[in-house]
Amino acid sequence: MNTQYDVLVVGAGIAGEESALKLADMGFRVLLIEKEPSIGGKMILLSKVFPTLDCAACITTPKVSETARHPNITLLTLTEADSIIKENNGSFSVTLKKHPRYVIEKDCTGCQECETVCPSIVDDQFQFNLVARKAVYIPFNIANPRVALIDIENCMLCGSCEQKCPSNAIDFSQKEEIIQVKVNAVIVATGFNLFDPTLIPRYGFGKYKNVITSMQMERELAPTRPFNNILRPSDGKTPDKIAYIFCTGSRDQTCGNAICSQVCCMYSTKQAQLLMGALPMADITMYYINIRAFGKGFNEFYMQAKDMGAKYVKGKVASVSEKENGNLILRYEDIATGKVTESEHDLVVLSVGLLANPAITSVFKDETLEIDASKYIKQPELLQSPALTSIKGVFVAGTATAPMDIPDTIMSAGAAAAETSGYLKQLS
Amino acid sequence: MNTKTRTINIIKETRKVSAHVTEERKKYVKIRKTILETLKTEGKTIPQIAADTNLPVAETTYYLMTLQKFGEVTVEGIDDMDEYYIYKLKK
Repeated sequence: MNTQYDVLVVGAGIAGEESALKLADMGFRVLLIEKEPSIGGKMILLSKVFPTLDCAACITTPKVSETARHPNITLLTLTEADSIIKENNGSFSVTLKKHPRYVIEKDCTGCQECETVCPSIVDDQFQFNLVARKAVYIPFNIANPRVALIDIENCMLCGSCEQKCPSNAIDFSQKEEIIQVKVNAVIVATGFNLFDPTLIPRYGFGKYKNVITSMQMERELAPTRPFNNILRPSDGKTPDKIAYIFCTGSRDQTCGNAICSQVCCMYSTKQAQLLMGALPMADITMYYINIRAFGKGFNEFYMQAKDMGAKYVKGKVASVSEKENGNLILRYEDIATGKVTESEHDLVVLSVGLLANPAITSVFKDETLEIDASKYIKQPELLQSPALTSIKGVFVAGTATAPMDIPDTIMSAGAAAAETSGYLKQLS
Repeated sequence: MNTKTRTINIIKETRKVSAHVTEERKKYVKIRKTILETLKTEGKTIPQIAADTNLPVAETTYYLMTLQKFGEVTVEGIDDMDEYYIYKLKK
């Protein structure tokens, strides 16, 4: 493997892919690393996008394929940056940690024969734990690379997959690799974390089976869904009275995230429209604080959801309790009437917020990658050069800077690529 | 003659299977057998399967959906109230 690159891009979600592609198209040699077994980030797991209702997979998979095949991009999955040290000449010495897949990537055909004989099952994290997967598995149907991996922590070490594999791709002798590279610039595209709703116990997530997150609903709505249709997890019933609780873990200082997550109003509105299409008889009620429909076409999209029959109730939900039949009672203050009210639903979706993912900051050893008050990567020149960070030669793209939607992420990633290109030209 | 290299033996020298993984495996084998057994006679809804097998309903949903994902169970139809799907063994 080459040890010299122009740019290291950390994170292969849509921001990392876009930055890598733009720079690679300009002729720069890019090393793109991703800690997950597949590239595509969170977008590749979505059902559709707002406000156009285009299929998310249809938009993202061509970009994913282009990224994986570009001659100027070297892609490493299951790889994390361990340390990044700035040298006196301005370049960066990077130590990478590549975790073993226990499958020889070039030999695996993605036939999934190994899965049929694996005796071990575990929660499928790519279906947000709604179903199980095998210990040897392909992350999801449109994963790239479409190559199996072995979850060694949950493996029975029976060797059945190795015996079954028709292309002899299983290799339990693989070990963690330490890779040293030199790069001239770094783009941080490490995205966001989702809010963990167990931190708001009064909503009952993790306790009541029919309280799910918006990402779980996103999977239920996707063509590669975990269930055969939209069902509630407690008993497989088709829900007919669904509630959304907006701002779960956003705009709420009590749970440590005071800022708006920018996308929850619109992704919930999108899901409401998709649900009304899939379950025409279902009542959908949206409990919100304020509707933030600020982007191009967003207000029209919101009005469309109301016209289709979604009911918007202004009021913060105080608590959720469960009845014997699995239905849920929401207690809330209806702002329109000023009364504390209760209503019954058979499925509750928590519109969870976006949180910063500041883990990358600890990787920079000799200089400080500064973060802002919300723990996103600080942009010292936000208005003039939003891709700059506190370290010269390190740039930032997408939701590593703040919550944002997909078009803004693509624009931010393009800006980071342009800024990086200018920097590299100056260096040379 | 089996000509495949057994790299599994290499990792077995340094790793042991955790008790949790073994327990989960046992649980899955037992539940899978129970669910597939009850579906041998006719297609059933999740609450019916749970009642027949004495499994908790939520657990039945999880494992039945997993069996559907693995291609062992499929949808036969929906009940008269359009509430619960009926699942049957995939031939």
